[in-house]
Amino acid sequence: MGKDDVSTKKRRKLNTTSSENTKQSPTDIYKRVIEFEETEAQLRSAEKDSALFKKICQDVRQLFADIAELKAKGTDEAKEKITAKRIEASLHLVALKKLNRLEKVRTRAGRDALHKEKQRVDSTHLLLQNLLYEADHLNKEVTKCLQFKSKDEEIELISLEEFYKDAPTEISRPEITKADEHQLQLARLEWELRQRRELAGACSELVASKERVAAAIAAARSRLDALAPHLKDVLKATKPLQECLALRLDEKRDETRAATLLSPPLFLLYANANAYSDALGSKNISVGISGDEDEARRLDQLSNVESELVVSNDSDSDQENNDEDQRDSKKKRHHRSSKISKEEKAEAKKKEVLKKHPLNVQVTITNSDGTALNLIFSYMIHLKIVVVKFTMNFPKPITGVSAADVLNGDCVLNELYVGDTGNDSPHPATAYLLKAAGISENFPHFIPEVGKPYIWAQRMCGLDFMAVSVDTQKCNKNFLPCQSLSVASVENFIFTLKKRLRARIDLMKELQDLECGKVLPAKGLSCPVRLSGSLTQWQTVSWHEYSQALSTSFVISEGLVTPDNMLYRAIITRQSAKLVAMVAVSSDYPKQAPIFSLTLHWNGTHHVGTSDDIRDIERVINTDWQNTEKKQCTLSTQMMKLLTCLDVLLETMGSSEFPPDKVMLQSIRGRNRMKPYKYLKQGTGIFVQY
Amino acid sequence: MLDKMLYNTILSQAYSPCGKYLVAGNIYGQLAVFDLDNIFNPVVEQITSDYNKPKHIHSLESGSQICSLVSTDKFLIAGTVNEISGWDWKAILSSKLSKPSWTIKIQPQSMIEKCDINCLWYKEDEGKLYAGCGDNKIYAYNLEDGSLVSTYEGHSDFVHCLHSNGQQLISAGEDGLVLLWDLRVKKSYNKIEPHTNSKIARPDIGKWVGAAALGDDWIVCGGGPRLSLWHLRSLDAVTVFDIPDHGIHVSFFQDDCVFAGGAAEHLYQLSYSGDVRVELPVSATTVYSAVYRTSPHKVLAIAGSSPEIDICTSFNYRDQVLHFR
Repeated sequence: MGKDDVSTKKRRKLNTTSSENTKQSPTDIYKRVIEFEETEAQLRSAEKDSALFKKICQDVRQLFADIAELKAKGTDEAKEKITAKRIEASLHLVALKKLNRLEKVRTRAGRDALHKEKQRVDSTHLLLQNLLYEADHLNKEVTKCLQFKSKDEEIELISLEEFYKDAPTEISRPEITKADEHQLQLARLEWELRQRRELAGACSELVASKERVAAAIAAARSRLDALAPHLKDVLKATKPLQECLALRLDEKRDETRAATLLSPPLFLLYANANAYSDALGSKNISVGISGDEDEARRLDQLSNVESELVVSNDSDSDQENNDEDQRDSKKKRHHRSSKISKEEKAEAKKKEVLKKHPLNVQVTITNSDGTALNLIFSYMIHLKIVVVKFTMNFPKPITGVSAADVLNGDCVLNELYVGDTGNDSPHPATAYLLKAAGISENFPHFIPEVGKPYIWAQRMCGLDFMAVSVDTQKCNKNFLPCQSLSVASVENFIFTLKKRLRARIDLMKELQDLECGKVLPAKGLSCPVRLSGSLTQWQTVSWHEYSQALSTSFVISEGLVTPDNMLYRAIITRQSAKLVAMVAVSSDYPKQAPIFSLTLHWNGTHHVGTSDDIRDIERVINTDWQNTEKKQCTLSTQMMKLLTCLDVLLETMGSSEFPPDKVMLQSIRGRNRMKPYKYLKQGTGIFVQY
Repeated sequence: MLDKMLYNTILSQAYSPCGKYLVAGNIYGQLAVFDLDNIFNPVVEQITSDYNKPKHIHSLESGSQICSLVSTDKFLIAGTVNEISGWDWKAILSSKLSKPSWTIKIQPQSMIEKCDINCLWYKEDEGKLYAGCGDNKIYAYNLEDGSLVSTYEGHSDFVHCLHSNGQQLISAGEDGLVLLWDLRVKKSYNKIEPHTNSKIARPDIGKWVGAAALGDDWIVCGGGPRLSLWHLRSLDAVTVFDIPDHGIHVSFFQDDCVFAGGAAEHLYQLSYSGDVRVELPVSATTVYSAVYRTSPHKVLAIAGSSPEIDICTSFNYRDQVLHFR
């Protein structure tokens, strides 16, 4: 491109200072030309060149225009002008070419410079990147170093003060370490290491000693296990010795073994009663176990198995049972004998519900005169109550019908404690259980065959039904035997029963006398006056008979006499007068005095509702109004009083049948015309009004 | 032993001057004060279960039976054994009974003999108290100073009952005599012996006269002998009442009728001619006291050998029962 610039026109226009020799080699020329052009391009200004370019273009256009005109003219002059113009135009074209070339060179130079700059910038940039990267890397390294936590920081070290205190100086080196932290840390670590080594040593020693001890224990245990059969042999060997010395050790052991098979409530009773038997002596109270031991053992095993099942798989087993039952019953329905099986089932269910534990506890309480009450306690497994059966032993036979009744076991145990008649089960769930088993009768119906569920019996076995009265859902589980209750109850019971036995025996003796018509005063007191009336009859009456009498309606309406009391009728006669007394003796005799209701048959019938005289006598006998003696009132004493009062009353009537025998101060006194029933020991004895 | 209150016997009753309280005395020496307002004007919200029990029961120190009660404006006078005591009404109505305001003692014959003051009569205009006693005499005391004014002797056995209509006094005794007295004279001027009349006498019950009362022209008396009506001046037995009793202890005139009670199941209201108008059933075996009041309420209180007192507002039936327990 830049090769054809050897035109003169160009040299004319372009006034450059080229002093180069053209005889040089073509390459040199070429090189020189290029250099020349480049410098030319640099030296000349671009704007001027562009302005020149525009001018030349304008000239060329003008020339073309002129040429065109001239061509249009078409003259020869014109042709010369045309040629001249053409040459001008060509020159202009050359100039244009030159300018173009200059432009190109300029452009190229510019581009090259740009390129070079670019390169330089790129390399710098690259350098910058490298440096940045390195800086970053170094930063990371620095931070990594800074964050580095060596394992030594995880070790717990003792505090500084302790360290300086405990560590020996060759480790702690306080002079250095106090100044240099790193040294301090090293020192502490060293101390830590030493201590840990020591402790590790101690630990391994202790582990070793522990193992030695464990080995010793195992050896001892195995020796003990081997001992048991030896002991059994020894016991067997002592049997002949026991028989020789008449010791009851074997029997005691048997009893204890039987005792372990007892149901828990009965066991409590047995244990406590046995304790009292030892304390009070076996002639006062003796305890024994009766019943079938093997049955009990079987029952025990059964219940253990059952409880295991229950523990492991509660709801599932229930469902299984239900399904089985349903299947069974379906099978049964196919058989024609379904009716019989229902009855049998009912019978079996009833027996099941009323089943008792095979082992019973027998307690015999003996009185000083030989009368004994033998109690047999049984535990009903499903109803979870204790029932009592009893027999009585007498040293001598009892004469007298009503007297014998009094010592009937039922009577003796009735109302031993207030309200405890043993007529119904104290367990609140009994009714429900019976109904659930399909039994329509309620519990009192079964009392004659199973025994009486006295509340004191429950308490002696540690079953306290009074405590849980609200929560009826858990009633089956809450009545666990309570030991402290049993202990307290047994003691109380034994003494109460002995007292009751003694009181009953006294009552029986009194009744024996009364039945024979003998009214004997209490020991120590003799009757002060001669009694003309006599007891002609004494017999037991039923509640029906008792409540029929007119005289008793007063006490019955006041609620003082119940069918539980022992009821008697006494007839006292004096000549034509007959006094019928209905006597109600409470179970608590002699704590509670008997209650008399009187009817006098003489000159008509008089009783408390119709005659004030009879009412006054009842007041004297039944109440303790102005009673100076503080002793308990016995039946015989009251009978004596009654005889005295009857005598006084009849003698004050003024009838010839009964001549006045007693000394009375005033036979009738006051608006209510009271008779003198009170005896004063003045002189020969005188009766005055109260 | 049973409670002695089951066999309580009330011998006497008296109303308070205002009529709101009834006081009853029994043989154990106790005074029971009943609030009659609770019975007649009960406040519904305040009714308790013991509305018919006594408000207070005072036990006398001596513990001897209270044979008679009479009420004056200021005092409640009680005749017990060997003495007559008077209490201020305020003391009676308070919860604790203090000593009596005054006491008149009567000396019996011997140490062990007891003299019951069987009946009392208060003469308001003269301020005199007449007492018929167990020592067969009737005493008259001046209540101002407690001095004995006069003694009336005539009975040979203890005096059951006294009654007066102002000028005359009538007394009935265990000896079977009904004596008429003029208050100024110490000797009786007339007497009736019902047991001598064959129609009236009941020998198996006795000859004692338990009650006697003076009407305008009439005397009513009864006891062992039947209840009978006598003319005051002629002393003839005009009517013999045929009621099934075993001894009359209470009888009085009221509103042209004769009320009588005793050892019977009823208290009878009889006309002068002998017809039974009303038979009131009573709780007591024997009625010893029947007191009557018209203001503020018409009420008849019947008491005797029972812890119950019957209250009647109209005399046809038993209205309420108070319990002296």
